Amino acid sequence: MAHRALAHKSTDDVAVAVADLKAGEELSIASLEGGKVHKVKLLEDVPLGHKIALKDMPSGHVVIEYGEKVGQMTQAVKKGGYVHVHNIRTLRWDYGKASKAKNSRKGGRR
Amino acid sequence: MRKPASKTMALTGYRRTNGAVGVRNHVLILPVDDLSNSASEGVARLINGATALPHPYGRLQFGEDLELTFRTLSGHGANPNVYGVVVIGIEPKWTDRVASAIAKTGKPVETFSIERHGDLNVINAASRAAYRMVQDASELRREPIQVSELVLSIKCGESDPTLGLAGNKAQGRAVDRLVDMGASVIFGETSELTGGEHLIANRCATPALKRKFMQIYNDYIRMIEDQGVDLLGSQPTEGNIRGGLSTIEEKALGNIQKTGSRPVNAVLNYAEPVKPGQGLVFMNSSSAGAEQVTLCAAGGSVLHFFTTGQGNIVGHPIIPVIKVSPNPITCSTMSEHIDVKLPDLLVGDINLDQAADRILEVFIRTVNGRMTAAELLRHNEFVITKLYPSA
Repeated sequence: MAHRALAHKSTDDVAVAVADLKAGEELSIASLEGGKVHKVKLLEDVPLGHKIALKDMPSGHVVIEYGEKVGQMTQAVKKGGYVHVHNIRTLRWDYGKASKAKNSRKGGRR
Repeated sequence: MRKPASKTMALTGYRRTNGAVGVRNHVLILPVDDLSNSASEGVARLINGATALPHPYGRLQFGEDLELTFRTLSGHGANPNVYGVVVIGIEPKWTDRVASAIAKTGKPVETFSIERHGDLNVINAASRAAYRMVQDASELRREPIQVSELVLSIKCGESDPTLGLAGNKAQGRAVDRLVDMGASVIFGETSELTGGEHLIANRCATPALKRKFMQIYNDYIRMIEDQGVDLLGSQPTEGNIRGGLSTIEEKALGNIQKTGSRPVNAVLNYAEPVKPGQGLVFMNSSSAGAEQVTLCAAGGSVLHFFTTGQGNIVGHPIIPVIKVSPNPITCSTMSEHIDVKLPDLLVGDINLDQAADRILEVFIRTVNGRMTAAELLRHNEFVITKLYPSA
């Protein structure tokens, strides 16, 4: 069967489009590791390789993919919505906090 | 039960005097420094079959950074895909240092330095040396070899989620089979394990290796964080983002799929030598394609698997780079760059074992001399990793 979208695990929060998908499509999204098939009506266009929300997620929600934490929602998304850099952000990298701390330590010594 | 693929792997290669096994038979013209690129490229233009490795470094480097440049240069000379090496440097002392490290392998090495001779005299003498070496190399015959005699390497580039779902999973299955048959397989991309570093740490074969891995990983991340900037657009790259990757964690979890499931038996720093029979090996590296492939070749890899989503087209001057992609857009719009096309895996028309079979079939043919897309298109990226500015 040719899939339209796939999840890594059935418990993941997001799935990946394996073809260019259009808003309104009714999808049955299976998982590579088996388990529950998600029935999802797509709310937005999602290009091949991009992510689809498998459930409603509020802003601040820690997103699970591969059964692991992959980031945090910066805006709420509805089930069937498009998840990408506009509404999800890394939980890692320190964007200057480390160096600021280092500088302030230096400052403290002066 | 599956028939072990080893029964069907009829491989041939070049066995060097030190017992190392290569799959290509290059004669290198190796500049020690930027100033020697002109003479090296001059020799390579004159002598059919000689390959120059021009690069921008080798002057006023010091400490660990200098050692890494030397290890990268001599590692390429010592690589089993190389028959012999003509080393050219501006002055004799560092030239001899690089050459003597290569000569330990027992392969032919000749050195030339430019000061007190000039480019034209050096090109004359070095071309005569290269002429003899290429002619001798051309008489060497391939002989039967075993997978267990090979050092291989892996990386993904311009990744997108089609790799984590399909391409890297298939590559991981192929890596498991190669490791089970006794090959060494190098992986790296230190920063690109972020979000999945615990998964690699837990696969390290001993507690000491796990500690060493976490030390290398944490040092690399500290270096990145000390810059105090948002990495979005660099890691993940703009190409990754266009392909659908949103965070470094998502990229890393896809990346890690291609390492398969076997234990990590060694943890090495940049360009340290790897021997056959070590199994899966982590080597500290940048996640930039050409830098990582160059470090693997310096460590002794003779063939590289490179999975790509959006279409990284990297190659290397002395090791064949097999490009694997499951992305149907990339496979159709950049067909000439992709050696193994797996869009049917992405939509579930073939399974992971069938996809791994397809990768290994191209592997066998490539070992035996079939040219890769990158070799045909002259993708000869040779990029030395620089650790800090020169003095």
